[in-house]
Amino acid sequence: MLLNTVRNAALRSTFTVLAFAVTAAVALAQDRIAIKAGRIITQSGPEIQNGVIVIENGRITAIGADVKVPWDVTVIDGSKMTAMPGFVEAHSFRGMDRPNENVDVAPFLSVRDSIDPIAFYFEECLRYGITTINIQQGNNCVVGGQGLVVKPFGLTIEEMLVRPDAGLKLSATPKFGFSSATQAQALRNAFGELRRHLEQLVADAKDGKDRARREALFQGRDLEGEKGKGKPMAGSAWKVDGLELVARGEVDQKQEPLLDLVEGKLNAYFYCGRAMDVRTALEVARENGFLARTTLVVDGSCWKAAAQIAEAGVPIILGAPLVVIERDPITGKESEVFAPAKFQEKGVRIAFSSSNSTTESLWFQAATAVANGWPREKALEAVTKNPAEFLGLGKRVGSLEVGKDGNVVLCSGDPLSITSTVQYVVIEGKQVYDRSKDIRVKSLVEGKLPAGTTPMGGDAEAGHVHDDGCGTIGHTDAQDEKKDEKKEDKKDGDEKKGDGR
Amino acid sequence: MSAWYLATVLALGAAPANEDESRSWTVFADKVYTAAGDPLDGGTVEVSNGKISAVSPGGSAGDAKLSVAAVTPGLIDLSARIHGGTQSVEQASETIAHLSTLDGLDRFVEDWNRQARNGVTCVMASTYDDAVIGGLSIALKTAGGDALAERIVKTDVALRAAMGQQPSQRNHPAAGRPTDFFSRRPTTRMGVEWTLRDRFFEAAYSKQDAARAFPGSDVLLSVLAGERPIAMQAWSTQDIRTAIFWKEEMEREGFGRPKLILDAAAEAWKEPELLARSGAAVVLPPHPAQGRTGEGSFMALDTAKLLFELGVPFALSGHNAIEKSSQLALQPGYAMRGGLPFDAALQAVTITPARMIGIEKRVGSIEVGKDADLVLWNGKPFEATSRVVGVLVDGRLILDPRAQSTEQGEAK
Repeated sequence: MLLNTVRNAALRSTFTVLAFAVTAAVALAQDRIAIKAGRIITQSGPEIQNGVIVIENGRITAIGADVKVPWDVTVIDGSKMTAMPGFVEAHSFRGMDRPNENVDVAPFLSVRDSIDPIAFYFEECLRYGITTINIQQGNNCVVGGQGLVVKPFGLTIEEMLVRPDAGLKLSATPKFGFSSATQAQALRNAFGELRRHLEQLVADAKDGKDRARREALFQGRDLEGEKGKGKPMAGSAWKVDGLELVARGEVDQKQEPLLDLVEGKLNAYFYCGRAMDVRTALEVARENGFLARTTLVVDGSCWKAAAQIAEAGVPIILGAPLVVIERDPITGKESEVFAPAKFQEKGVRIAFSSSNSTTESLWFQAATAVANGWPREKALEAVTKNPAEFLGLGKRVGSLEVGKDGNVVLCSGDPLSITSTVQYVVIEGKQVYDRSKDIRVKSLVEGKLPAGTTPMGGDAEAGHVHDDGCGTIGHTDAQDEKKDEKKEDKKDGDEKKGDGR
Repeated sequence: MSAWYLATVLALGAAPANEDESRSWTVFADKVYTAAGDPLDGGTVEVSNGKISAVSPGGSAGDAKLSVAAVTPGLIDLSARIHGGTQSVEQASETIAHLSTLDGLDRFVEDWNRQARNGVTCVMASTYDDAVIGGLSIALKTAGGDALAERIVKTDVALRAAMGQQPSQRNHPAAGRPTDFFSRRPTTRMGVEWTLRDRFFEAAYSKQDAARAFPGSDVLLSVLAGERPIAMQAWSTQDIRTAIFWKEEMEREGFGRPKLILDAAAEAWKEPELLARSGAAVVLPPHPAQGRTGEGSFMALDTAKLLFELGVPFALSGHNAIEKSSQLALQPGYAMRGGLPFDAALQAVTITPARMIGIEKRVGSIEVGKDADLVLWNGKPFEATSRVVGVLVDGRLILDPRAQSTEQGEAK
């Protein structure tokens, strides 16, 4: 699947860039790093007590209790800490300037142009031990843009990149202003458009109207590379006969990613905010032959469609909160459902996502699963191994073993304990986070900033800063006021619902 | 109010003298955190007729009706914020000290059940903070008898007040526009402070000059006399200062020694010495993930630890959060993340808040003779990896730990 993608000319350039990035990294990262840890949670076998992890050129080369620390390496001493593979965020739309475009069907867009490498979000990821993030367009779309898998480190997208062809975002939940019917219609129509477009191209070719091709022939040159070649349509759900007559370069660039999806070159992340959306999503994926490459991004309330999902055999990325509160429409009485258990009953493969929340970051999701009866190992898998597999990175991240990327998180204690904090983060052999040097953590914990530092969250010029001793944190009142109002309004609304009136 | 007292007495009197099966239990836990001394490693709590009748080390899971990993006293939230929102607060005046929250409470909103099933067994209900002096708060259980009267622990436990922006937020002056319901003052933070001081001065002078008395001035006098605390919302540091300076002014003037509880005092960490000097108690708001919280205030993670080290009595609160991550049951965990020892964290959600409003003889710890309000956990309390699996309120099983394990489904 990865190699197939290379055929896509649009993505090929990406690979070239990636290849350069890798070469550069290799050239620079001759240094090796060793991590000593009191306890290592490998996620690939039993835990190791008092072990060592050696990372060379970004990959783990040795791990175990009997591994010797080479004499010429940088050592991170975590002998009183717990090491574990970095958390993998299976789906997120943070770190971008805006998560959604105004265009309903926009498969030609890429989050590449939207990710801000210095966004606060990436810093937060490190603080909570997240080392791999699948960034996809937001849920407010019909067909969204193409996503990327990145690591939360680096000043350019190229540096951050882990996997360029992370797939296409689709949503079965009505976009703002849409009804469910409009949404389903818009989804089907997107593929209908593609089909009509391809059929028109074939018809034109048969009529001898494919001017670009004729021109090229006349001038005695081939249309550039791959794009010049016509080839029959791949994919099993539906085919446009005669596509081999059309040079691929003729296909509208706006439609190309959808053709890739249908032909099996791209994966799909299909959002379902409600159980009823699952049917739409599965049907559209089935009709267009990409069901096998679909991962559903679901809300906990979708547990009611667990059987359908299991039958379709697609994995899910389950967002926060894992414990779903349901309200009886007549009595207003609430009941709680631990959604993962319902999915598991039916045999659905699950990865947890933090749904962009900091309070419910991945450690918290795994901890919640443990609180609700899941064994620790399984809960941790849902935030490491499973998402890595769903993202096609099963051989690179998600566990600590020889040959895998050197993504290691060192926690002060058990990673799922509320009192533990992430002390160090190592990504591909580079130490990218050290809590003792994290200025913002100092302000979060003690409220103090080193003298001369700009107060966080507030602009000293624009906002109101408390003048009550140097180095304390000020804030902008106006912004927060608005936020508070909104929150209050929402609460009031909820209460009304609670009354059952 | 006396009618309610009477109703309570009648309800209690009507209870059968013989053993009430549904309110008698034997609870065994691997750890019993009593909030009154060291925890017991493996202990049994006997409950009969809704009261704790024995607490003893030892026992076994087999003999007990309910057996869990840990048991703590029921959690107490002094800032539970269950009220009807803006609809429940009287707008006719900025000082409504003579009104009782009790008359505005809806016993049938789901919030009570949500609190109860998440381990909060007793709350102080207060008016919505749209008035400077908001009315009399009430301590009541979140579950139990059907009648509100049965749930009351104590009426008129504190007077509610609020500093900062909120009381003036919806006000605007009449000048330049048609006079309407909201044409009232104060309209600024300063005006809020003035209203507070003005009313207390008037109340104090009414002792000499009866003509200066106003509805609720007797309540204000009881606060000045220290008969009941005043629970004042003060998010940011200037509000905390205002509250403390008000307290000190009252003392300087010889009006009395008011007991001050600073509610939602997120910025209590900013001027800890002032706080310690004032003798005020603190109720902290829910821990915000990135520090920023209500009215633009900033709460540092180690606030609770700091207050603990200074010896300032403090309680944690949940503000009626719907998300599990913000509810009271996890707040001690966050405080511990900031460096607070476990025992202090436990006390901050049990016995300390009970003491603050004078209900510690009935609730707040696991001791013989107290109400059987218990929270049963499936692991170490306040950890994200643990959950409230059982709740007893007055000996009534509100959440059954035996039903939980099958309902939630163990991982296969």
